[in-house]
Amino acid sequence: MSKIDNETTKTAVPVPVPARAKLPSVKRIGGWHAIGPIVIFLAILLVVALLTPAFIGGGGLAIIASSSAPILLLALGQAMVLNIGSIDLSNAAIGLLGAILLALTLGPVAGLSPLIVLLATTAFGAVNGLILAYAQVPSFALTLGTLGIFQAVALVASGRTTVYVSSNGEGVHSLYESGIANVPMTFWMGVLLAVALWVLLRYTRVGRGMTAIGKNESAAIFSAVRTRSLKVLAFALSGFAAGLAGIAIIAQAGSASPTGLGSDLLLPAIAAALIGGTSISGGVVNPLTVIFGALTVALVPIATTAVGIDAQAQSLVYGAVIIGVVALTMSRNKSSIVK
Amino acid sequence: MVNKVLSEQGAGGITTTAIRIRESGIERRARFRSLAEPLSLLVALAVLIGVFSLLNERFLTASNVQNILTQSAIPLIVAVGATLVILLGSIDLSVEGVMGATGMTWILLSANSRGGVDLGPWAWVIALGVALLLGVASGLIFTALKVPSFIVTLGMWYVGLGIATMLYGTDLLPRLEDEGLKGWTSRISLGLPNSFWVALLVIGLGILVLRSTRIGRVTLAIGNSETIVRSAGLPAFRVKVAVFAIAAVLSGLGGILATVQLDIGSPTVGSGVLFIVIPAVVIGGTHLSGGKGGILRTVLGVFLLTILNNGLILSGVESSYQSAVTGAILVAAIVFAAWSQRDRLRVAK
Repeated sequence: MSKIDNETTKTAVPVPVPARAKLPSVKRIGGWHAIGPIVIFLAILLVVALLTPAFIGGGGLAIIASSSAPILLLALGQAMVLNIGSIDLSNAAIGLLGAILLALTLGPVAGLSPLIVLLATTAFGAVNGLILAYAQVPSFALTLGTLGIFQAVALVASGRTTVYVSSNGEGVHSLYESGIANVPMTFWMGVLLAVALWVLLRYTRVGRGMTAIGKNESAAIFSAVRTRSLKVLAFALSGFAAGLAGIAIIAQAGSASPTGLGSDLLLPAIAAALIGGTSISGGVVNPLTVIFGALTVALVPIATTAVGIDAQAQSLVYGAVIIGVVALTMSRNKSSIVK
Repeated sequence: MVNKVLSEQGAGGITTTAIRIRESGIERRARFRSLAEPLSLLVALAVLIGVFSLLNERFLTASNVQNILTQSAIPLIVAVGATLVILLGSIDLSVEGVMGATGMTWILLSANSRGGVDLGPWAWVIALGVALLLGVASGLIFTALKVPSFIVTLGMWYVGLGIATMLYGTDLLPRLEDEGLKGWTSRISLGLPNSFWVALLVIGLGILVLRSTRIGRVTLAIGNSETIVRSAGLPAFRVKVAVFAIAAVLSGLGGILATVQLDIGSPTVGSGVLFIVIPAVVIGGTHLSGGKGGILRTVLGVFLLTILNNGLILSGVESSYQSAVTGAILVAAIVFAAWSQRDRLRVAK
């Protein structure tokens, strides 16, 4: 705002600044999508700190950060897909399948295993994207179908039991054991991915193209944006992020099972992406604020117990939060038709 | 509707004749499709039944047929509601959550091993009331706040699960105590399992609602073009809320029957139902974009999937593969349905 004021005073003839011209700069400084996620996180943190001071003193923040790592990774992938106006209901299932594959292969192939897992999960995501882009089917129905397939593959691959890492687990496990500022590397992995995605979205042709698809797909097609390959890429990135989440799960738990850690991350991850300022209708995303979205989601169980709500109500809270956040941030007008 | 308006406008003259010829062509093709599509489903069903009865002699025994009918009853009831929602062009992902919340409410208010109150028939009323509330909430958030239905119902799915988990608490498993109700769903009356009779009743009512009531007709119209519905002054808002409410109550009914069948209360009593219901509606040929389709087609879709699952298990395929089979069928069905409409400029989210 001040910048514009300075510019207007410099000119010899004071040109009245139209009210509308101020809008972009106000948005650049603040705006819900930029600061909202941080404000929400700090507000909830404040409530928790006031109700249970011991939690913050006892390294609670580090605990939140470490437990938010898989959610953050999945949420970043989900945010990339939401950014093109689609949704990926299968990414949590891909992440869990990645974790199971990692637990199965770490013994036999050791160091190559994480690489294989990342390649596989990226390919799974790319398949979603290929079907979506070339058959032009609705993403929620498509990924609901592939969710079923990935779940079944996870069940079969694990034999319906918990798969433990037989050997060579030290390398992956150290991602959780070692860390910077008491926060495990798995979380910093998420932060790194967020920064990379932020650069991709902000400074590259590919990233701008993706956002263009989310804002107005028809216009993107007419502007010669390669919509199909970018859609495939967005879903492939979601698969890649899910693979990283799988690695984070193994690093934390040392084992994976179809019903264990990570089996219930679909909704928390969507919630994290949405609280992080991602628009459900596409075109608005900031991977850096998604970090705060994930931290907020990881804080929810602690906050609910601090406020005195039963810990079992967690899924209710997640569900309500998703509906609430979308209802609050949706851009809508009276005549538009929502299906 | 649009065609009718067009022909009335051009009354008299050559244009009318041309339009009429075109119209009758469209009508003939539509009639052919409406016959051919269910027919191909029936053929697929017949092939499946043929293959499975050759593979396993137990498949066509009376007890297995009754089994299949019992297994299909709950998905059928839920699918009637899901068909109505999809005819709007929307989607209801909340079925499993609503089933859990309703089933849990019902068993805790009926005679169960935890003791507590036994409200008898009032347990049904209150439990279905819970479902109705969830449905109306979904419908209102969807229509009044304009939140896309897949997000509302995705959220409501987990809200329902949360309610069920909270009701379940940390106590012992609530087990059904009423001897008359135990196994009621699979008991046979007049040759068919009880739960299947309920399903038939629901299907009948569903068809009646869709064909001969204002709610049903407006539902189809909204799926075709909501803009026209609104400019015609039809109550799009109320009908959408009503359809979500009906769908939730039917999910709730399915949840109660599933609880009776399981004999115990569980928040995840509905798990897997969504995976049969949505693919069944799509295979039946109801368009995900709304406006085209029907309940009888969905019935065929449910049978196809139930028979496929039942036959695969009888043939020794592990039950772990079930969700993969239905998932793959869902993907194949939506790809098949969308294939003819592919266009470089089409926008599919």
